[in-house]
Amino acid sequence: MIDIRIGQLAQTFDVHRNTIGNWIKSGRLRAVSTVGKRYLIEKEEMIRFCMSAGIPLQRIAALTGSDVPPSPSERPIIPSPIKREVRMSAKPIGAVMVVGGGIAGIQASLDLANSGYAVHLVERSAGIGGAMAQLDKTYPTNDCAM
Amino acid sequence: MNIQLHTLSEVTGFNGRPGHFTVTVQKHPRYIDMDKCIACGLCAEKCPKKVPDEFNMGLNKRKAAYIKYGQAVPLKYVIDGQACIYLTRGKCRACEKFCPTGAINFEDKGETVQLQVGSVILAPGYKPFDPTGWDFYGYGQISDVVTSLEYERLLSAGGPHMGHLVRPSDETEPRSVAWIQCVGSRNTNNCDNGYCSSVCCMYAIKQTLITAEHAGAHSIQQTVFYMDMRSPGKEFERYYENAKTRGIRFLRSRPHTILPGPGGNGVCMRYVTEDGAVHDENFDMAVLSVGLAPAPESRQLAATFGIDLDPYGFAQSANLSPVNSSRAGVFVTGAFQAPKAIPRSVTQASAAAAAAAEALHAVRGTLTRRKSYPVEINVHGQAPRIGVFVCSCGINIAGVVDVKAVAEHARTLPHVVLVENNLFTCSVDTQDQIAARVREHQLNRIVIAACTPRTHEPLFQDTLREAGLNGYLIEMANIRNQNSWVHQREPAAATAKAKDQVRMAVAKAALADPLETLTVQVDPKALVIGGGVAGLTAALGLAEQGYATVLLEKSAQLGGNARRIAFTAKGEAVQPWLEHLVAQVRNHPAIEVLTEARMKTAQGSVGHFVSDIDVNGHVRTIHYGAAVLATGAAESCPNEYLYGQDERVLTQLALDRRFDTDPDAFAGDGSIAFIQCVGSRDAQRPYCSRICCTHTMRSAIALRERHPHINVYVLFRDIRTYGKREALYQRARELGVVFIRYTRDRKPHVTADADSLSVACTDPILQMPLVLKVDHLVLAAAIEPNATEELVSIYKCGINADGFLNEAHPKLRPVDLAVDGLFVCGMANYPQPIEESLAQAQAAVARACVLLSQQEMQLDAIKSMVTDRCDGCALCLDVCPYRAIRLVEAVGQNGSTTRRVATDPALCKGCGLCAATCPKGGIFVQGFTPDQLRAQVTAALQVVNE
Repeated sequence: MIDIRIGQLAQTFDVHRNTIGNWIKSGRLRAVSTVGKRYLIEKEEMIRFCMSAGIPLQRIAALTGSDVPPSPSERPIIPSPIKREVRMSAKPIGAVMVVGGGIAGIQASLDLANSGYAVHLVERSAGIGGAMAQLDKTYPTNDCAM
Repeated sequence: MNIQLHTLSEVTGFNGRPGHFTVTVQKHPRYIDMDKCIACGLCAEKCPKKVPDEFNMGLNKRKAAYIKYGQAVPLKYVIDGQACIYLTRGKCRACEKFCPTGAINFEDKGETVQLQVGSVILAPGYKPFDPTGWDFYGYGQISDVVTSLEYERLLSAGGPHMGHLVRPSDETEPRSVAWIQCVGSRNTNNCDNGYCSSVCCMYAIKQTLITAEHAGAHSIQQTVFYMDMRSPGKEFERYYENAKTRGIRFLRSRPHTILPGPGGNGVCMRYVTEDGAVHDENFDMAVLSVGLAPAPESRQLAATFGIDLDPYGFAQSANLSPVNSSRAGVFVTGAFQAPKAIPRSVTQASAAAAAAAEALHAVRGTLTRRKSYPVEINVHGQAPRIGVFVCSCGINIAGVVDVKAVAEHARTLPHVVLVENNLFTCSVDTQDQIAARVREHQLNRIVIAACTPRTHEPLFQDTLREAGLNGYLIEMANIRNQNSWVHQREPAAATAKAKDQVRMAVAKAALADPLETLTVQVDPKALVIGGGVAGLTAALGLAEQGYATVLLEKSAQLGGNARRIAFTAKGEAVQPWLEHLVAQVRNHPAIEVLTEARMKTAQGSVGHFVSDIDVNGHVRTIHYGAAVLATGAAESCPNEYLYGQDERVLTQLALDRRFDTDPDAFAGDGSIAFIQCVGSRDAQRPYCSRICCTHTMRSAIALRERHPHINVYVLFRDIRTYGKREALYQRARELGVVFIRYTRDRKPHVTADADSLSVACTDPILQMPLVLKVDHLVLAAAIEPNATEELVSIYKCGINADGFLNEAHPKLRPVDLAVDGLFVCGMANYPQPIEESLAQAQAAVARACVLLSQQEMQLDAIKSMVTDRCDGCALCLDVCPYRAIRLVEAVGQNGSTTRRVATDPALCKGCGLCAATCPKGGIFVQGFTPDQLRAQVTAALQVVNE
């Protein structure tokens, strides 16, 4: 039985800790949670998972205390989960946060959303509009601000 | 659709690196389920707790359950946890009992979410300066002293008195109102706001003009007490001059104390005019023109995001990268960056959008979605089956119009198979209901009797499309804006009118045909005209976002005016930066630079333009989807004050050139004078050139710092160092620069002799004539736009009376031109300093990218159509304001040629002028066919005929 924290596993596998969490949640990696945010994993299960994921066993040798090389027949059957996960460092995130829902924040959000980016518009009050919504008219055309 | 709105939310945590930020957002409870709330207003009606309404600046009360204002987005009520009786004292829950949809949820605890984003834009805005602590203005003690924002709410139709202007003390109409400018701005004595708030002069002028409108027949005496009148924006100077001609009194004076008026109403002010005379005057009301101050929350926000603030508390940013904060990947915009008016905020917001997107363009579209619709049902040949939905709009319509009677009337109309009355026809659940009714009853035309199609038609069109109907099978009867709002006192007549409106809409809908929206393929390439800093920045921005860009420059060199500028207003060296910018543009694989190039022709329209370019004698054809016009402006050549006759008279740029090449060029001088507004704000150029005051401050400071023995005089009309530039004015005065004001009708007089130049003027404070003996005279020459007639006639875009390119909307579309697909930036739009030109250039990039990022564009289907009856008389050609109609010749079978007009649907805006002009029904607008209009008129007259 290996007693390990998610963070350590994430470091060993070079993925995000949430990814490990997801593997455990989905049952792809069988682990039992225990006190102190630690997990217990069967040694055999660990080796099976590493082989199916295509992770060099040497990496977890220290964890499992075993250095059994995988036989060719035991090569991955399921597609590697690691390669399908997007690495943290790979591509930027196509979303922008705009803080403030006044006329400036609204304009920035619209331009971004209309050119292909997801926008999170964060506003402190219950509705957007900001100070401009409070104005009656605007200069120099005397247009209604609303 | 791709914007997720987090209201009542605050950012509490932030970490990561550009492209991969994690932001922690604390969402406060709303206590009302947004999905269930239909904004009927019952909760607010039943809520027993009243608190001051902050939207109306506390001038009236709102309930603890409330919406900020009638048009709030999202239109969902909220319960104020600080005020709610149940939440504070554990009893009440009245709203919960009455809410028809069960939306009240007192168990709402809010939540904390973590969001992954690539960039962040901060636009938290400003806080109006609070003059409460200043006892000499009596704000808070004298009820007829209000701040300008409170006055704004008093003027507003949505305000506490429904737009009826009354003073707070006794709710009578004021007969005299006085404004005091620079309250909480340009003040380091009572507060630390040494900057100019940039907007107060203009909003005070606006308030005087609107007040005059409110006054109607009996006039209101209006006075503005000011230090310098600052109207350095497009059309601003005309606005100011216009106010002067309307009898509004502008006094250069600063009342030091406001006392209660006689009888406890109104105010009494003592002030000193420039001639030294002391005046006591009573006014019915005093308005304090409060400045824009950084919001206290902004300091916290800056700490969370780890960005620097300037000494005032605004976000720190460099003039050569105006929207970048001190942290990579975090951008700042709006009044958070510096006090500024709406157009500059909107421009800078677009600029921030461009900057935020630049780093992310590789992943554009990965997290957004597009809506898909079911296949349209073919309704051709089907008899009309009309569904009518009558909206109560809460009490907006139902409070005046008897909606039940209108619905009953609709039931009697031909082709109508279903009539429903909804509390809010626009609410999400009603949309689902409409779609369900379409399917249940096989409806094929829909009439919505509600509000204006301008704001709501797209929503209903969308619902129709989701239900499988063509979006143009809808007709709206505006029984709110055109009825209940304007006939509040005549409910019976309003109901009769609503019936007429519905009858007309039904008659028109019965003849509606499905229309096909026009799709335009977008050429993902851009053209930038002008190789100054604005054009260079725009070209680089577009190329960095992945669009092939052609840059046209008429001269042989890139860089424009910036080549002659050494420093920005903040003292950043321009030349090294400019060299780098030019090198980046020249070496960018996606940019093609064409120097000594001129545009010859332009065909096509938004999404696909084709132009012939003359490059040094060779003609080339290029294709592009959007163009940015950055043709710039230049220092004009003065024709007064001995300029050109005496070589000791220089312009600002000439002074810069000599001073920059040899800092000791003026070491032998005893005195130097500057004259401001040379050629600006006069009959020939009735606009302010915006940049000259700041330019003179920089030069005067540099001269005094280098040579403290030189006396420097500045002859000015108003000093317009707006925003943070005010610090330069203050620095110049500290350094002993002497400022002497002159007026347009008493200009300085310059004479020359061998030893020196004599500048004769009158000092308004001393009330005495002065003669300054100076060794050099520097003229702040007006900025005039480069000639654009050729481009304007090629593109058919507009210029104002001063020759600057006109934006599509001065507030909301400040970088779009009236012709779709064209954008403007830099001094071609209006004289402006480098930082504003750069922001505008980046904004033009953002706006162009919105267009270029679409593979194809859907245009509105309401377009003109030519019929067989057209005989080519071409009357419509002259009236078309968009030049969408041209004359074509067709050769018939027998060899005879026939003339016809043809319309370009991409240019046509469906205004209908052609249809109204055509004498023979040869052209009409789809969706407004003669048959439909005739049916509408017949329906309207039906009652009369009976």
